Amino acid sequence: MAEVSLLGFSVSGSAAIIFVGIFLAFSSAYTASANGFERVTDAKSTVDDEALERQNTALSITNASYDAGTDTLTIDVVNEGTTDLSVDATDVLVDNTYRTNFTVRTVDGDNSTDLWLPGERLHLEVNATSQPNRVKIVSGPGVADAEVI
Amino acid sequence: MASVSASHLILFIASLVIAAGVAGTFTQGISRLSDGIDDQSLEVSEEVRTDIEVISDAGSPVYNNSTNTVTLLVKNTGTADIPADSRFIEILVDGRYRTNVTITVVDGETWQPNNVIRLEIGGADLSPGDHRVKLIVNGDEEVFRFRT
Repeated sequence: MAEVSLLGFSVSGSAAIIFVGIFLAFSSAYTASANGFERVTDAKSTVDDEALERQNTALSITNASYDAGTDTLTIDVVNEGTTDLSVDATDVLVDNTYRTNFTVRTVDGDNSTDLWLPGERLHLEVNATSQPNRVKIVSGPGVADAEVI
Repeated sequence: MASVSASHLILFIASLVIAAGVAGTFTQGISRLSDGIDDQSLEVSEEVRTDIEVISDAGSPVYNNSTNTVTLLVKNTGTADIPADSRFIEILVDGRYRTNVTITVVDGETWQPNNVIRLEIGGADLSPGDHRVKLIVNGDEEVFRFRT
């Protein structure tokens, strides 16, 4: 009887060990794949949101003029989309030169705001020693408009 | 009878040892796989989040004839920070890999979303005509065409 029970236990004992091993392995595999899947899904949904924002973004340069007397380039851009844009994230390229030092940068007359809401006009003035040819405005999501002066 | 129980004991121990070995190998294999999935998902999510855009105005000159330099402005339009280092940005001019590249962040310290970098590709020596620059960052490819 003793031998039979020992043999019987050897089968069930090793089965238990293998079962516990498989259980541990699959629990770690599940955690890793669930985390990984979530990470990628999160990234994809963020990118989808960005793409939607980009689709809803539109801007148009209504005025770009150079005043030789004051060496000032004046640009007016209207947010014609339905998304709120950031003034800080908006880039100004004058003849392919990135400009950061604005003499005036206002949204509908307000120079403290960073929000550039739909329908509002961004007014920019930058120093330019000579008459520039082209000016390009790039919004935060990457939607751009260019104008020949 | 004693010899039978001794052999049974041996078989019992052997079966436990083998079971432990099998379970151990299995667990180890799966844990390696889990580490791989973890690393891979991190990389894939970074790749998905990365998006760049060449914002240089192709209507204005981007190539400087006297210094043989192509200057491009590249905006981070994704949601991930990208190191502003030429080791992370592959640059091909007319299909040729370029290493003589200077990178400067023009509106901040790091190349965060919405920030712009200036790429100065030196020693380009381009003939008059059509040219193309290809940028590859984290699997995101961007082509910029211009005329010299």
